[in-house]
Amino acid sequence: MPVDHKRINGPEISIPYQLFDKLNTKSLKTQFSEIVQPNGTRADGRTSTEHRKIFLKTGVVSQAKGSAYIELDQTKVIVSVFDPREIPNKTDYSSKGEIYCEFKFAPFSCHKRRLHQQDAEEQQFSAIMKQALESAVFRHEFPNFQVDIYAMVLHNDGAALSAAITAAGVALAHAGIPMYDLITSVTLAVQGNHLLVDPTLEEERLCQVPLFKEEENNHGIVVLSVLATHEQISQFYQSGYLSYACLSSGIEMLTNAAKDIVTLVKKCLVKHVIKSVRIVED
Amino acid sequence: MPQKIHIRLAAHRINPSIAVNRRVPKIFTPGQVITEQNEFMRGHGTYEEEGFLKSSVAGVKEQVNNLISIRPLKSRYNGEVGDVVVGRVTEVQQKRWKVDTNSRLDSVLLLSSVNLPGGELRRRSAEDEHMMRQYLQEGDLISAEVQSVYSDGSLSLHTRSLKYGKLSQGILVKVFPSLIKRSKTHFHNFYVGASIILGNNGFIWIYPTVSNAEDNAGGFVQNLEQVVSRPERETIGRLRNCILALIQSKMMLYDTSILYAFEESQKYSVAELLIPEAMVDVAILTQDRLSMLENS
Amino acid sequence: MALCEAEKTFVLHGVEENFRVDGREREDYRPIELETNIVSHAFGSARLRLANTDVLVAVKIEVDVPYPERPKEGKLEFFVDCSANATPDFEGRGGEDLAIEISNSLSAAYKSPEVFDLTKLCILKGHKCWKIFVDILLLECGGNLYDAVSIAVKAALWDTRIPLVKSVTVDGNNVDMEVSDELHDCQKLDVTAAPIMVTVCKIGEQCIVDPNVAEELCSVGAVVIAVSKDKFSTVLQIGSGSLHPQTLLECLQMGEKVAQRLSEALTETLSEINPNKNQDVGFLK
Repeated sequence: MPVDHKRINGPEISIPYQLFDKLNTKSLKTQFSEIVQPNGTRADGRTSTEHRKIFLKTGVVSQAKGSAYIELDQTKVIVSVFDPREIPNKTDYSSKGEIYCEFKFAPFSCHKRRLHQQDAEEQQFSAIMKQALESAVFRHEFPNFQVDIYAMVLHNDGAALSAAITAAGVALAHAGIPMYDLITSVTLAVQGNHLLVDPTLEEERLCQVPLFKEEENNHGIVVLSVLATHEQISQFYQSGYLSYACLSSGIEMLTNAAKDIVTLVKKCLVKHVIKSVRIVED
Repeated sequence: MPQKIHIRLAAHRINPSIAVNRRVPKIFTPGQVITEQNEFMRGHGTYEEEGFLKSSVAGVKEQVNNLISIRPLKSRYNGEVGDVVVGRVTEVQQKRWKVDTNSRLDSVLLLSSVNLPGGELRRRSAEDEHMMRQYLQEGDLISAEVQSVYSDGSLSLHTRSLKYGKLSQGILVKVFPSLIKRSKTHFHNFYVGASIILGNNGFIWIYPTVSNAEDNAGGFVQNLEQVVSRPERETIGRLRNCILALIQSKMMLYDTSILYAFEESQKYSVAELLIPEAMVDVAILTQDRLSMLENS
Repeated sequence: MALCEAEKTFVLHGVEENFRVDGREREDYRPIELETNIVSHAFGSARLRLANTDVLVAVKIEVDVPYPERPKEGKLEFFVDCSANATPDFEGRGGEDLAIEISNSLSAAYKSPEVFDLTKLCILKGHKCWKIFVDILLLECGGNLYDAVSIAVKAALWDTRIPLVKSVTVDGNNVDMEVSDELHDCQKLDVTAAPIMVTVCKIGEQCIVDPNVAEELCSVGAVVIAVSKDKFSTVLQIGSGSLHPQTLLECLQMGEKVAQRLSEALTETLSEINPNKNQDVGFLK
């Protein structure tokens, strides 16, 4: 990877101190059983299908055309949308507008310090975000133009990508960009027979590797974005190792969870409109 | 039932070339001396240096009286007036369309060289200019004839005949232009239920035969509602795969060779014709029948 | 390349009729050609040709230090290079987005320990491990890149031979290792669970596999499904369209079925490879 010479970078190899923590001596299986009870109750008292409390606000970046801030308990993401502008460095005419997404973890958002340059994971998340939003926007209404969307994760406590996509949907609506539908996204973490909606960072980490033997070696992360009124899945991403049965029940669970968020998104947008009307009246 | 998936080793690859007992012409390479005398005239693909006539491309010698030229083995299409071509519209400009015809430069189809709907001898009005994209837009396929060749080698096309115009449903196959045999007509209606336009530029258009010829030709209408029936579709697919089999073995394409290949391919299903062995088999059988025809 | 509406209609009706333009059914594949051990400087390599798609994969192995958070594991990295040989569009940074997308999907597909066991690559816990570089070169693009790349990668990893480590000695901070100098003293990688990707393309109301370039242009969206044994290791949506949940499930089922068939065909072909017989073809046609 090319090195960023314009900034002072930290040492090339540094190790987060948590690795030397006592906790790490415990096996992953014990760690998992500590945070998820056999009946599915999780460390923060949620059931396995329960989403975290969401806080959503529009208009947090005054300079941007549209912006949104989302909190899923500890996970905090800020998204801004800028005016359509002509596609840079493009010679031929494109009949549909482009969406440019940049997903970025703030350097201080994770356990390990992130660099300023986008790494492979962030690039992939940007591509997924673009995929999710493309089918929601009236792209034919702004041919040869590009809409820039920047998502910055201030604190990552799991499901950061989903939070960014939901917030980006709200920010696009706030920016007044024509859309077919509101877009909401939910993450699912799978470990054995446990399907955990909206996982925390700890849960996500423990779902990367199989902890149970043989028949129960399902594990993985699923991210799904839904256009609720059209009943369409605009983006789907899965990694890990999952059986068809597990994946299909996961999809159903996520679709329902995503539909539940729509009410909140609507409320948030309505609130914004009422507020702006009041300002005008005053 | 879906077919078996074929993954073959490169070592088991079969040689698609068909041995023909013909004399292989001498092939000149760039820089090679063609002749030492200088009474010859310099044609395409040659240059003069230190009194020698040398080749500038890899190809075979062609001599007309004392004009020597080297025809490259593989080249883009060099248009000649009267050629039938199939092309794809790439750009709509003022009073003309740019058409990709596999030649070095894009060809031009002037608004004045097309038959517009509603009478042949109609004045072209300003409205027609605005309507140009409705007649032909980017991506549309047309059949046309070469009207003239500009000094830079680009072609000017015309569609002033009922047989030319916008193409409707069908398949485009691209082959080397040198594999298309020149003949009196490049439009063929095969008895098997499909028609074919062998463009001199190497673009071949295969389409279902239209029963009422006046319906389709020369117009700017595409029938998107019409569903091509299964038998017709099979014929078209078979013709496509046969043509690909013939060009894999570098055989000339004309109505007889295509029709023979079509008949010889009957023992295979259309999808089986994608397998290299079947393709070579069809090519060999076709070659045999053609040489029988020649000898008889 | 662009297609006109009539051509698209022809392709669309063909897919509905279960008779595609080249006579294939919806679940049919075009014939594939494969050659392994084609690059002599690499530890393992494969070249795959699927119609006009041409992929060359070479595996290089180096000794590295394991990640501190995973001391018992080796490393596996994928790099895709879209050569400008394939299409002039890839010139400069043109192919970068596609390259990143393919390499990311491969690393996601190979991430789970059930799919590819990285602990086998460990030489000395916390100090030395093998790092596998999988370099993928796209020589020609004729549609269906993901499928071609994943099969070629699996074949190249199958072909890979890791040198045998005879002894490892630790002397303070210095780690010394001795590698067997016998050419044939090497171990092979276990690739039975290595994933195969199938791109399921939605055209009209139906789904097809192995689309050619024209069919790719007609499609509104596709799902890339990586299948390892009987489970899904990665699923991602590409293209700009959206899908109904039911369609997604159908795509998943179809992808799994086709991946099984592909994997069987690949195993069969790989078993035909006989190292004692000279089967080299190389790049000559």
